[in-house]
Amino acid sequence: MTTAQKRTHGIDISALNRDDKSQQAGSLETCIKVENLDLFYGDKQALHGVNMEMPRKKVTAYIGPSGCGKSTLLRCINRMNDLVDGVTIKGKILLDNEDIYDKSVNVAALRRRVGMVFQKPNPFPKTIYENVAYGLRIQGINDRRILDEVVEKSLRGAALWDEVKNRLNDNALGMSGGQQQRLVIARAIAIEPEVILLDEPASALDPISTLKIEELINELKDKYTIVIVTHNMQQAARVSDFTAFMYMGELIEFGETSELFTNPAKKQTEDYITGRYG
Amino acid sequence: MIKAWFKSGSPWIWMTAGAVSINLILVTGLLTLIAVRGLGHFWPADIVEYRYQDRQDPESLIIGEEVDKSLLLAAQARAAGHELLDNGEYLVQYLVKTGNRDILGSDFRWIQEQYIHGKSTPEDLIAIERREWGNFYGRLLGVKENGTLIAQGEQAWAVAQEKLAKTLELHDEIDKLQDKGVGAINYNLERLRLKQRALELKNQWNETTHQEFIAQKLAYEQEYKVIQEQIGKLNKEIKSNSLLVSEAGQKEISIPLDRVVKLTRPNGMSWLDKSIEYVSNFVTFFLDEPREANTEGGIFPAIFGTVLMVLLMAVVVTPFGVIAAVYLREYAKQGFVTRVIRIAVNNLAGVPSIVYGVFGLGFFVYILGGSIDRLFYPEAAPSPVFGTPGLLWASLTLALLTLPVVIVATEEGLSRIPKSIREGSLALGATKAETLWRTVLPMASPAIMTGLILAVARAAGEVAPLMLVGVVKLAPTLPLDGNFPYLHLDRKFMHLGFHIYDVGFQSPNVEAARPLVYATSLLLVMVIVGLNMFAIAVRNNLREKYRALEN
Amino acid sequence: MDSNKIKQHISRQFNDEMEDIRNKVLAMGGLVEQQVDLATKAFMGYDMESAETVVQQDQLVNELEKNIDHECTEIMAKRQPTAFDLRMLIATIKIITDLERIGDEAARIAKMTMRLEGADYYQDKYYEIEHLLELVKDMLNGALDAYARTDVEDIVAITAQDAKVDREYTSITRQLITQMMENPRNITRALDMLWTARALERIGDHSCNVCEQVIYMVKGKDVRHVSREELEKTVNTER
Repeated sequence: MTTAQKRTHGIDISALNRDDKSQQAGSLETCIKVENLDLFYGDKQALHGVNMEMPRKKVTAYIGPSGCGKSTLLRCINRMNDLVDGVTIKGKILLDNEDIYDKSVNVAALRRRVGMVFQKPNPFPKTIYENVAYGLRIQGINDRRILDEVVEKSLRGAALWDEVKNRLNDNALGMSGGQQQRLVIARAIAIEPEVILLDEPASALDPISTLKIEELINELKDKYTIVIVTHNMQQAARVSDFTAFMYMGELIEFGETSELFTNPAKKQTEDYITGRYG
Repeated sequence: MIKAWFKSGSPWIWMTAGAVSINLILVTGLLTLIAVRGLGHFWPADIVEYRYQDRQDPESLIIGEEVDKSLLLAAQARAAGHELLDNGEYLVQYLVKTGNRDILGSDFRWIQEQYIHGKSTPEDLIAIERREWGNFYGRLLGVKENGTLIAQGEQAWAVAQEKLAKTLELHDEIDKLQDKGVGAINYNLERLRLKQRALELKNQWNETTHQEFIAQKLAYEQEYKVIQEQIGKLNKEIKSNSLLVSEAGQKEISIPLDRVVKLTRPNGMSWLDKSIEYVSNFVTFFLDEPREANTEGGIFPAIFGTVLMVLLMAVVVTPFGVIAAVYLREYAKQGFVTRVIRIAVNNLAGVPSIVYGVFGLGFFVYILGGSIDRLFYPEAAPSPVFGTPGLLWASLTLALLTLPVVIVATEEGLSRIPKSIREGSLALGATKAETLWRTVLPMASPAIMTGLILAVARAAGEVAPLMLVGVVKLAPTLPLDGNFPYLHLDRKFMHLGFHIYDVGFQSPNVEAARPLVYATSLLLVMVIVGLNMFAIAVRNNLREKYRALEN
Repeated sequence: MDSNKIKQHISRQFNDEMEDIRNKVLAMGGLVEQQVDLATKAFMGYDMESAETVVQQDQLVNELEKNIDHECTEIMAKRQPTAFDLRMLIATIKIITDLERIGDEAARIAKMTMRLEGADYYQDKYYEIEHLLELVKDMLNGALDAYARTDVEDIVAITAQDAKVDREYTSITRQLITQMMENPRNITRALDMLWTARALERIGDHSCNVCEQVIYMVKGKDVRHVSREELEKTVNTER
């Protein structure tokens, strides 16, 4: 072994400079495709002709000022907006090339494929175990062996197992906010969705819990396509691979996070992310 | 100065605190009055012997309990035709419970203090609580067995107590035989008759069934005869003893022991004895059946009827109200129609309860009950089964009466469940129904319990509609017994509220019944408080479970 | 273009901080320009006083560099800047390094002048060097102007001058080599000249680096180590 090799610890120097982007581009595969999506609350239009393609097993972040429609767009992906009275939706959202707004789609089944975590931790007032097992019980799975296995796997997946393994039968409401939010994530991954939607998942948490959630998101993206809405731009910058900037119900800019945060293409984006007068 | 005081806000605090204090005083005052008047009744009072002589009559002895005292202004007394001997300011009168209704004609007598020559409480005075004719006050002379005197004088008391205990035992035995034995046989015979009638109506009555039925009937009759013989024997035994007593007028009377419930000498009792006697009196009142047109004995059937009716009502009203609320809040499209329905429900809560009674009688008893009788009990005709007021209809009527409360409370509870919880469940692929059933309703259960508490409180105190749909002053049997089907929804029942009304205002002996009214009221309050406490305990338990979510 | 871009933040404190950094960079730039000026004057005119000043000022420049570096770090930690703000800070950190180097080069010239105190050959004038100096000063001035105005329009002209500087430098080198070959006694003097020319050429290169950073700051494109054509294309593309 030459001295040079020793000094570089056998790292392939030429690989260091290889452009990451060109490498990704080959493996990018669209998971969710939004086509000309318009959404109306009664007469008020909340989304204006949104078009975007969210790649599989990547983290896509939506940023934008309050009321810009980012949560609305997120909730379109698992049809949560169906619950709101007076909503009309035009356009398409394709999940694996199937329109989720097609008449033949079973909404409950869709939501099993597209899990969601909300702003405020919303564990059910049940035990930790039952919270995680909830989705499976809904599907009629009551076999204790399967449930045990899934609960452990999900809690491990949500980096919560070591903290709660000795008190699985305690009420989930006794946990800290950060733990509750990770429990909710565990609950979501217990039913093995393809996509996980996170609606400002860390906005109600302290900084350390927030970091834990971010770390978790980073781990989860190996297995799931993740879409996250956040008010915290740094968070979007930290956790996401792609970022969409929305303003007044329109998608202003959508692109790789590294690019969008260092050199945004649109002035509106720049003004927003650098904190200038809009 | 005053202005500054007003500005400081303390008048407001005083006003609100005052309102609370007044409430508190009212509640405690009410309970204390009822408790004092009601509970005093069970204390074994001293028996007083008066030597009494008024204008017309010669001196006589009066024996009885002093119940009340009244002061009448001299002028008023004169105007009422009384004469005042000592020109005092007042005319003092005592109300004495003399008992011995069979001899004196009435239980109570007013006497004037000015005519009392002597007053004493000799220890040998006895009080006998009898199964009929009210109490007896007097002296015990002896005990007779089959007409011959077996004890007299000093020994008489001990012997009497001993014989009485034995007699009461026998009495219990006879009661049991009557109830369990004869009652059951009669019930079965009646069912047999109805079965026969049913078969006849269906034209399935033939020789074989006829033979079967005759055999069965014979068996029952055989059984009946055996029991009857037993009862006869016991009856003979029980009637063998009697007490020889003398009343105030020195007249000797013989009281058969089987007519005696209790024999006491209150004047000779120590304070401790009286306390024990007091507790036993109270327990008897709680557990015994009423006698003498409800003016004596206990009120157990009324308590039982009240509780059972309320429980039945709760069983009916809870699911019904919850389902209605769930539909209104969760499924119905919010708009004009739901608003109208809500208004209607709220107004329903304000309809006078007697109107519900009329509705219950007209709809439940006559229409529903009549139809049920025609369809399912044609054999019982012309006597109605469900086509007459009864427990079921009373419960249903009250359920209807309390339905708005449950609906409103449940809706309130449902609306307080955070949206995030529902969304959390829906996002996991649960349908709306699954979300409701697994998450929302359990979380709304404290509110549902609150509704139920209010409903129970209202239902337990309601009397007016019940008089129309099932309550009677004296029900021969409890609606729950050992005969199949154990719970008899068609039976009439007794109710504490109605019992109070009946005892207090419909009884032939108002004076004697007055303490009972208070005691019964106290029990009614206790029953309601007990039911509420139970429900509140359950609710607090549930609340604790879901507490963290409320903030 | 939008020269007061840094004044549009919602947070006025942020504005002030960015403004402060810009002003300090410009001050540092001015100082460095003065240094170059004085150093050349000293070299050409054998002015010991100016040389002294240059060396002293170098200390000041170094302090400023550290100061600005620190402030940039602080803003990054405090405000997590993005987009233009982020690029401006990064560019600033790099620009001040270049400016400090320019100051060093100026100091080097000045020190050399002082070392050579009394040497007789300094009486001659060197017009080539003077010309080179003019070119380099121009470039530095243009680069600082571009930074001050966050404007890349004139940058192509500046980078074009770098080629001129290179040519001039090559020609000076050749001349000096000739002189050295002619007369070995000239070697010491020629080498001093060469070092001075070399220092000026480096100043030109550093100015170019500053220009590249300004382009990165304004356009968000990394134009280091790219061909001139590409650089021109970047400058002229509208975003």
